[in-house]
Amino acid sequence: MTTPTGITYRKVAVPSNLERRAFLFMRLSGAALLLLAVGHMMIQHVLNSSQNLTLQFVAQQWSSWGWRVYDMLLLFFAITHGFNGLRNVLEDYVHNRNAVKWINRFLFVFAILTIIWAGIAIATF
Amino acid sequence: MQVHIRIRRFNPETDNKPRWGEYTVNDVNPTDSVLDVLHRVKWEQDGTLTLRRSCAHGVCGSDAMRINGANMLACKTLVSRIAKPGSDQAKIQVEPILGLRVIKDLVVDMDPFFDHYRSVLPYFVNDNVPADGREFRQSPEDRARFDDTTKCILCAACTTSCPSFWANEKYVGPAAIVQAHRFIFDSRDQAAEERLKVVGDSFGVWRCRTNFNCTNACPREIEVTKAIAEVKGVLARGKI
Repeated sequence: MTTPTGITYRKVAVPSNLERRAFLFMRLSGAALLLLAVGHMMIQHVLNSSQNLTLQFVAQQWSSWGWRVYDMLLLFFAITHGFNGLRNVLEDYVHNRNAVKWINRFLFVFAILTIIWAGIAIATF
Repeated sequence: MQVHIRIRRFNPETDNKPRWGEYTVNDVNPTDSVLDVLHRVKWEQDGTLTLRRSCAHGVCGSDAMRINGANMLACKTLVSRIAKPGSDQAKIQVEPILGLRVIKDLVVDMDPFFDHYRSVLPYFVNDNVPADGREFRQSPEDRARFDDTTKCILCAACTTSCPSFWANEKYVGPAAIVQAHRFIFDSRDQAAEERLKVVGDSFGVWRCRTNFNCTNACPREIEVTKAIAEVKGVLARGKI
């Protein structure tokens, strides 16, 4: 299709593999983290004084499900984004395909367990 | 001026590991290139020094080297660019490009580089007959989309400055992606999907960590990292 700018755009079939999905997820989670993490920092450390960050403050905040969902989203995106970044770094240096497979499995399980463990802490606080 | 040049030497017949050769060259003009200095060493001091060069004018791309820690073409790098302003002395360190096996001195095995180059089908593919029977027409705007990547001379300065390529030589590398870009974005070409299979593989564009070494190294000033990002964009959107 040629646009008024004279440029012809075409649709193409692209391979949809793990790396492409991981790339798209990193873009999505990066944008989400920009909002969630910056928002978290502004609320906890700028609008509130760091001196007020006590157990009672956290308990009061997590009495609202809105804050719990916010922190769970922050947890989910931070862990998955970070572990996928770690997977990328390790794949640069580990060349044995079997070792890469086992590292990926380990990172996947470790990330899921971390999310469940921290998620339970937030949900049942 | 006087040039002190350190050259990474390796002769597989006599050396167990690479060593440094140190030479002093006098009466060098600031407008001489590093290649001129290497020629002076080879022709006047040590005829065993081995290097590749052909046109000596920045067109053939055969004399890419690591000069003072950065990839450059020896023929395009003037001594005046390396010497301190106003000084009549210069210190130059020359090494072979990294990530490829050294055959001798500054000559490396380029086969893995050209294997990656060939893997992206670096040629025009269109089996149809043009409507007018003579040529496939293209708007200036469509031509402009891949103008930058037509400038590549395959010197390997980009690929061998890339830490991802150093870490894993299976990575197809910036130069091959530049070649893929040149044809993927050509509105007349019909093999984009085949090229996208190669550069969309786990050893394709996803290995790029956008550290811009390739863009800095390119002697033709191609925006290599931008070209890689544009190919990633095609793979993400399914649209050229």
